Amino acid sequence: MKPDLSPNTLRKLVLEMAYFGKTVHIPCAFSVVEIVSSLYSKFLRYDAKNPRSEDRDYLVLSKGHGVMALYAAFHQIGWLPREAIEKYFSDGSLLHGLSEAHIPGLEVTSGSLGHGLPIATGVALGFKREAAKSGKAPKRVFCIVGDGEMNEGSMWEAMLFASHHKLDNLTVIVDANGFQAMGKIEDILGMEPFVEKFRAFGFDAVECDGHSLEALGREFEKSVGPSTNGKPRAIIARTVKGKGVSFMENDNTWHYTRLDEQKFTRAIAEVSK
Amino acid sequence: MREKLSSLITEYAVNNPKVVILSGDHGYALFDSVRKAAPDQFINAGVAEQGMIGIAAGLARTGFLPIVYGLSAFLPIRVLEQIKLDLCISKLPVLLLGDGAGLVYSTLGSSHQCGEDVAALRPMPGITIYSPADAFELETCFKKAMTSPTGPTYLRIGKSDRKPVHTKLPANDEFSFTKKNSSKTLLLGTGSMSSTALEIATNLKLDSASVMRIKSFPKNLISELSAYEKVFVIEEHHRSGGLFSSVAEELCESGIKNAPRLFSVSLKDQFAEHCGSHDYALSEHGLTNAQIEKLIESRI
Repeated sequence: MKPDLSPNTLRKLVLEMAYFGKTVHIPCAFSVVEIVSSLYSKFLRYDAKNPRSEDRDYLVLSKGHGVMALYAAFHQIGWLPREAIEKYFSDGSLLHGLSEAHIPGLEVTSGSLGHGLPIATGVALGFKREAAKSGKAPKRVFCIVGDGEMNEGSMWEAMLFASHHKLDNLTVIVDANGFQAMGKIEDILGMEPFVEKFRAFGFDAVECDGHSLEALGREFEKSVGPSTNGKPRAIIARTVKGKGVSFMENDNTWHYTRLDEQKFTRAIAEVSK
Repeated sequence: MREKLSSLITEYAVNNPKVVILSGDHGYALFDSVRKAAPDQFINAGVAEQGMIGIAAGLARTGFLPIVYGLSAFLPIRVLEQIKLDLCISKLPVLLLGDGAGLVYSTLGSSHQCGEDVAALRPMPGITIYSPADAFELETCFKKAMTSPTGPTYLRIGKSDRKPVHTKLPANDEFSFTKKNSSKTLLLGTGSMSSTALEIATNLKLDSASVMRIKSFPKNLISELSAYEKVFVIEEHHRSGGLFSSVAEELCESGIKNAPRLFSVSLKDQFAEHCGSHDYALSEHGLTNAQIEKLIESRI
């Protein structure tokens, strides 16, 4: 039976974790929910019984702050027990508030930003080299990065490397929600135009609605199909920070705000519609 | 020592297609032979050290054995956080070569000199740190890092054209005595300063030893030290966090009776003042062979 990875199911689990764990970063997870949902529903090759399966594609979460969206998906797939959700942040519990490489399903330690994409690039190179020996098509690497994270110079180093070495099995998904920790990206360190920048760095770059499963699916379909131009791909996913809960959407104070009982109930009602 | 490094890199690359060498646009002639013998296994990652460590981590995750080369002023100093988060946490078998450690690049100035690499890396959980003194020690620790790594390894390569301290491969990858005169004073060197320690021990009829592995610390060394009244720890590194610190910490905690008095012979707490040869740069820190010999003579 296919796991239920629908966006509302994932958002509900994120809210539960955040409420039980009295933690923050809910909107960072909400903006990537459809991306995560789409990838695990249809495009990533993985083994539901073994998150470290040798044959798996890699999903690298470079923006570690969105990790609750992945925990939610891992729970639905069967990699994390219900206890991990309910005991989030309790003493001696398994899961931290940012991505840690030893957790089943997570591939890198991130949250300190600018680490995931270079590692994803190395993995993509390793897969290409492996494939050149075996004659098979290379396994694929998807890397979710934050638009704020793109401030980091190491991201651009990795992009140069990926295009120079023609890593066409790498797809970078920019969660372009327009915010970073302390405010709007355009007010802090403007990053646009992303599409043109990625293209100038040798990527095949497009943008799409990052909350439309249909639009994301169309783009991911191209990533898993045969490469036609040898270029790594970038999908600039236009998203809303806090998407799915009206009082969180585009309100950056929720980057740091915890749920009380009343807000939790309201939020659960909104994502249960 | 450099010829040995070049030939070891080539040998391991040729014998194992999983070995991949990454350089941050440094070490031109060093890689001539491997570029000829195994061109696909050498990647110049460009002047982009942070990205390079992440890429090495990704390669290690997919079963490759990366050897990453840079100048110690940049690798590890510029990429400390990458070493911590991309390599150490996941115990990835990546060999880091930090060349030109100490004051080797004396004429290029402070940007290329490095007396803090060991101190910066020692607290990183799970990393192994070597500081070979000659081609024999280099071969020993290089082999260990490539054949039975327990995680990332840093190999500190300092001034490499000094007289060797061994005549054959040492018996282990930890430390070894290089001169025994039944003295009550031991000169404990590492890296380039092992040669200095041996030379002065010979002149003054003292004992000398060379420490190849700084982390994990060779526990047997402490019991050997109890035979001495005075131990001079000589290193082309700052006093904080290097070999002297390591020995002092271990010695304090060991509780051994009749612990020797320790002296640090190391870089001063200052940057290069003037330009000059390697020997000139050492002299600003009181670290030429003649200066060290004089210092030791005055203290024994």
